[in-house]
Amino acid sequence: MLLEASGVVQTFGQLRAVDSADLTVAKGEIVGLIGPNGAGKSTFFNALAGDRPPDDGRILFEGHDITHEGPEQHARRGIARTFQVPLTFEDMTVAENVLVGAFLRHSHRTAAEAVTRDVLEFTGLAPMADRRAGMLGTPGRKRLEIARALATEPRLLLLDEALAGLTPAEVQVAIGLVRRLHVRGITLVIVEHIMEVILTLAERAVVFHQGRVIAAGPPRAVVNDPAVVAAYLGHRMSRQIQQ
Amino acid sequence: MKRLWWLLPLVLVVLVWPLLAGDAFYQRIGALVVLAAISASAWNLIGGYAGQVSVGHAIFFGAGAYAALAVYTHLGWPPIAGVPLGIAVSLILAVLIGTPTFRLRGHYFSMATIAAAELIRLLAANWAWIGAAIGLMGPAAPRTLADLTFRSPLPYYYIFLGVLALLLSLTAAMERSRMGYYLRAINGGERAARSLGVPVLRYKLFALMLSATFTSVAGSLYAVMVGFADPDSTLGILISVKMIIVAALGGAGTLFGPLIGAVLLIPLEEWTNAAFGGSGTGVTYVVYGAIILLITRFEPGGLLHLASRIRGRPRAA
Repeated sequence: MLLEASGVVQTFGQLRAVDSADLTVAKGEIVGLIGPNGAGKSTFFNALAGDRPPDDGRILFEGHDITHEGPEQHARRGIARTFQVPLTFEDMTVAENVLVGAFLRHSHRTAAEAVTRDVLEFTGLAPMADRRAGMLGTPGRKRLEIARALATEPRLLLLDEALAGLTPAEVQVAIGLVRRLHVRGITLVIVEHIMEVILTLAERAVVFHQGRVIAAGPPRAVVNDPAVVAAYLGHRMSRQIQQ
Repeated sequence: MKRLWWLLPLVLVVLVWPLLAGDAFYQRIGALVVLAAISASAWNLIGGYAGQVSVGHAIFFGAGAYAALAVYTHLGWPPIAGVPLGIAVSLILAVLIGTPTFRLRGHYFSMATIAAAELIRLLAANWAWIGAAIGLMGPAAPRTLADLTFRSPLPYYYIFLGVLALLLSLTAAMERSRMGYYLRAINGGERAARSLGVPVLRYKLFALMLSATFTSVAGSLYAVMVGFADPDSTLGILISVKMIIVAALGGAGTLFGPLIGAVLLIPLEEWTNAAFGGSGTGVTYVVYGAIILLITRFEPGGLLHLASRIRGRPRAA
């Protein structure tokens, strides 16, 4: 197993946002985390990324206990991430943003620049390499976040709603990019609202509801699971539909 | 190397003008400009590149100034021999102040540095070993050349210029290295920087230590030239504020921004002092306040940013 999270608990005061959640990800998988708003999937995701250590539970990456390691150690171990609301370095150019990521594995500028060129080419950002990141629109900034994460040469990439807010045409382009990342051998965990993305991309979907995992399996089977339908639509409505 | 050619005539002018001017008044202003450029460039490492706006850099300036005059007063050494002591004290203070305050963000960090600087100013004003409120004096007349006590401002001008050249070459090298990019990434957003593996606290501390070192050297050089240090003139908040304004006016986070800011601001300050008499601190505050207002309202990136915008190029490409 590449990633094994077990019994993860994350509380905010009285609220148990994540209540004993488990997730295992095998090398080469694409796993989708889905669930209604406030289900705890983003909180769980941030615990995986090392943003906020969980209050209980254990997270292993390639057999190492990374439960209490910060985001910078995660990056060094080979876990990269994007943010729900893009956090690009606005005053730096697109290429410089990527260069910061590339410096993780290459302390020398020439080597880091070579990686940056490859990544910009791969993600289709090369034509805007010298543009200031603050001048990009949402799709561009989301792609830049993926590029920057890719430059750290990760084995596991965590995408937090990397496709939200894109037009249908932009979503298709982004899906293509995620596929090519996967072909490159990167394991992916994606949090996504758009069901179409999960259905087309993920090999396995894990459904969160009220801080717990209520279903897991092939996406098409999972979305027809009565418990999942109930979680999304509420019990009364799902009963009406089944009748 | 090609892009450095345009620097050559500029360097010649910088080296030769004081000899042609021949007037000690202008030569003294020239020395003060270079000294202000050193402090502001040192502040720029942490305040500009890393975006950690310290308003307490007078601590390191004062440590350097007092160290120079303390080795003279207590050991009879030439003041310049106090430079290593000033650096050592500044490094210790940088770690002591940086470690807790770097966990604070934005304005809270700035406020904590003000508090630390005021605390140290009050301690210095009550510490008899460094002259308490009266301060320390340097040698009145040179005993040897090593005392660096000159009647003409010219030698100071050239000594300061050498230190500035060293600091700017170091900064230029840093700007193009991993450290330069990491500091700018920290400035751009710590959460994103950490997610890319940037050890934020370690780099902030390293930048502060480098910054403190050169600020301390600037303080020692100031004490060597002026031959005097007291709590207000070396540890006062105005010293810290001046570094920020000089750097921000020219362009914080750029290589030559602080130098350009010093070239514009220091003659202006000397002129207000001359025109309004006395030490002129009252008017100086007004001028500083006006500059802060203008920069923040119209061009937060400073004059270099304005220039590159006019030419239609992205900043620091």
